Amino acid sequence: MVIQQLVNGLALGSVYALIALGYTMVYGIIRLINFAHGDIFMLGAYYGYFAITMFNIPFALALPLTMVLAAVTGMAVERLAYKPLRQAPRIASLITAIGVSLLLQNLGLKFFEARPRPYPRIMRTVVWDLGGVVVSNVQLIMLALAIALMVLISLIVYRTKIGKAMRAVSFDKDAARLMGIDADMVISITFALGSALAAAGGMLVGFYYNRISPTMGSMYGLKAFVAAVVGGIGIVPGAMLGGLIMGVAEVFVIAFVSSMLKDAIAFAILIVILLFKPAGLLGRAVREKV
Amino acid sequence: MTEAKAVDAKRAGGKAVDTTRLARVAVTLGGLAAGYVLVVGLHRAEILINDYYLQILIWVGINVIMGVSLNLINGFTGQFSLGHAGFMAIGAYVAASMTKLMGMPFALSLAAGGIAAAAGGLVVGIPTLRLAGDYLAIATLGFGEIIRVIILNLDVVGGPRGLPGIPAHTTFLWVYVIAAATVVVVRNLIWSRQGRALVAIREDETAAETMGVDTTRSKIMAFVVGAFFAGVAGGLYAHKITFIDPSQFDFMKSIEALVIIVLGGLGSITGTVMAAFVVTFLPEILRAFADYRMIIYSLMLILMMLYRPRGLMGTAEFSFRQLGLGDRRPAPDKGGQRAGRSDGPPPVLETRGVCMDFGGLRAVSDFSMTLRQGELVGLIGPNGAGKTTVFNMLTGLAEATSGRVCFMGEDITRRRPSEINDMGVARTFQNIRLFSNLSVLDNVRIAFRGERLYSMTEALLRAGRYATQEEQIYGKSMEFLRLFGLDDRASEIAGKLPYGAQRRLEMARALATKPKLLLLDEPAAGMNPQETQELLELIRWIHERFDLTVLLIEHDMSLVMKLCQRIIVLDYGVTIADGAPAEIVKNRRVIEAYLGEEAV
Repeated sequence: MVIQQLVNGLALGSVYALIALGYTMVYGIIRLINFAHGDIFMLGAYYGYFAITMFNIPFALALPLTMVLAAVTGMAVERLAYKPLRQAPRIASLITAIGVSLLLQNLGLKFFEARPRPYPRIMRTVVWDLGGVVVSNVQLIMLALAIALMVLISLIVYRTKIGKAMRAVSFDKDAARLMGIDADMVISITFALGSALAAAGGMLVGFYYNRISPTMGSMYGLKAFVAAVVGGIGIVPGAMLGGLIMGVAEVFVIAFVSSMLKDAIAFAILIVILLFKPAGLLGRAVREKV
Repeated sequence: MTEAKAVDAKRAGGKAVDTTRLARVAVTLGGLAAGYVLVVGLHRAEILINDYYLQILIWVGINVIMGVSLNLINGFTGQFSLGHAGFMAIGAYVAASMTKLMGMPFALSLAAGGIAAAAGGLVVGIPTLRLAGDYLAIATLGFGEIIRVIILNLDVVGGPRGLPGIPAHTTFLWVYVIAAATVVVVRNLIWSRQGRALVAIREDETAAETMGVDTTRSKIMAFVVGAFFAGVAGGLYAHKITFIDPSQFDFMKSIEALVIIVLGGLGSITGTVMAAFVVTFLPEILRAFADYRMIIYSLMLILMMLYRPRGLMGTAEFSFRQLGLGDRRPAPDKGGQRAGRSDGPPPVLETRGVCMDFGGLRAVSDFSMTLRQGELVGLIGPNGAGKTTVFNMLTGLAEATSGRVCFMGEDITRRRPSEINDMGVARTFQNIRLFSNLSVLDNVRIAFRGERLYSMTEALLRAGRYATQEEQIYGKSMEFLRLFGLDDRASEIAGKLPYGAQRRLEMARALATKPKLLLLDEPAAGMNPQETQELLELIRWIHERFDLTVLLIEHDMSLVMKLCQRIIVLDYGVTIADGAPAEIVKNRRVIEAYLGEEAV
């Protein structure tokens, strides 16, 4: 039973981790809690939905297509709504992000209809019983895809030139500029990568729970953000760790305590972690220099 | 002009000042009453305000209370809270249960709701307020959600089904009176010594601490007061809408309050009130657009932020002063004399074997020194020698890894900065840390908190000792400013002063906390020779005038040589010399440390 729930938890957690990566990368680079990120995730789910149902695009093609579309959306949001506020007080960008979130959600409600939709089946669900632990092919695909994407993003951030530029901008935007890095471009790319991951997460959630709605972004977004903070915001492996913890904890609470408490557990973990590790699990507390 | 009037008034016998005060109270109350009569009159006469608008005005009032109370936490204290809906929920549920389930009177239930929310604020505040910035925001968001989930699981109040059939007690009068009271109370708080401590925390928490502000207590106070009013707003809300369920108090409700204060301007009560109108009326006006309502609303929110990122009002306030209604600042008190100080036994400060490790690096090693009453000592050493770290340990900003720091015979090694300041240690900072968005005067005024001043209740009601003591604080602050040649710039914004004046203000501010020991961290940095010369005379003068013991970090050797009676030299955290200036210049190890071995 415990192992079974662990498997389910990891599947859910890998989705949180995918979304959390976007939060953490954006926060790392411009210190913005991008509240619209959860709605990009929602858009991703719908892009995928329409690609498959309306255009009959096979999943293997629909996924990258959706990710590209979401990346473009994310970049557009950044360009139009956040870039003009780069010199403004941080709270102004935060409110703008909330505005964008509301906008995307309401656009979704208007154009995708408010009713939840069943997600198209891309394959027959096959279930294997491994000595009492039931694993489905959807879970395996989900885990495998999520892990592959996380490895990919880690390689990009830590092994490529653009990744190095991202880390440089995150460390000190002005110094990075003086070194010839086009900070605006790097920020754009960060948004693109984060949004693409969120869109993949959106499609995976669609498959796994077989149900999407225009308001799904809020809760998933919030919990994924909490996951990013728990792991240590701005730190790529932290987001993955936080996401997995969130997923497992949530599934355990539903299975062993009460499904009514499932939304509280994320925040309870958050508060406990912050009280003992104020910068998150993998974060290092920086003392202000006097 | 107004100041002259006030001076005249004072000469006339002191009573006139009270008259202006009474006049202001009368005008405030009269204005508020007139506002109420106007709205109700228009409504009765069915001009402009119909029943529907009156209802919306009730929502505006509730939003004003939510906004102003959140602004106290976010805007004035600078603590980013995202959990205001949680406190509102506590107030709403407590008040509604009392009227509906127990048949209690409305006023009592509202008060109980407020108190319950304040208690919630205390419970949430104590652990979370150690966090800062975005982390605090997220933790408060978490608490807000947890409060909601707890209610969701409380069957007594209906759990997820909610609590229907709450008596519709909330009238325009109730909301109007409570909203006005909230505005007045929060405004009074901000303009009191307690409130100035809050604003100081927002501007620079570290500097506030070293000026004796008990930051934890102040932050919790702001949080509790804010939560109280949010609770009252919740009670009003419940008795207006008559049906509450947990989903009404989700994260979006907190966001709504946040939008109000950011749109109005963080730190502006006037702006908050204006924004409460905008945010409440806008969706109503947009009803005409039916389906597109929320889309347009969110677009407008984005556009407003893009074009007014600092909100409608910034931090500006509407005030009587703008209307020329008498600034009742009294003439500075000329007679403010410092109490004579007993010339106690010599050692003021003693450190014994103090070490400071940062990870594997020993920044300060076995630092022992004694400062005697009235000494003026220089602490010098090459960059990175550990001088500022010593200051941080003396003022409680850093805790020594080992060793002891004693001030006036008491161990202060593990004391908090505010306690150390209260005992009589004040400092300035290498990189000037003024409360830069506050006026020059307020920077100094923050120093006056401790000594049996007026209470919180007196501050909120502006009663009792408030008026006379505020006058004294004003007088004393102006006196300090005059000593530093800053009195004519008292109303300027501190951050906009020229560099030299900022340095002087930081010293004035430190002195206003009445220290026995003053620590100056590179006071001459960035000054030209002329200014340095003036600084030299200034330090000499305050040293004598205030009967101080002074420890000073400085790189300007000519200043140190001329000024200090004794010099301590640090190099790589180790004390390499301690003696009179004449000895120090000849000391071999000192020369080595500064110029390298070959030079010797």
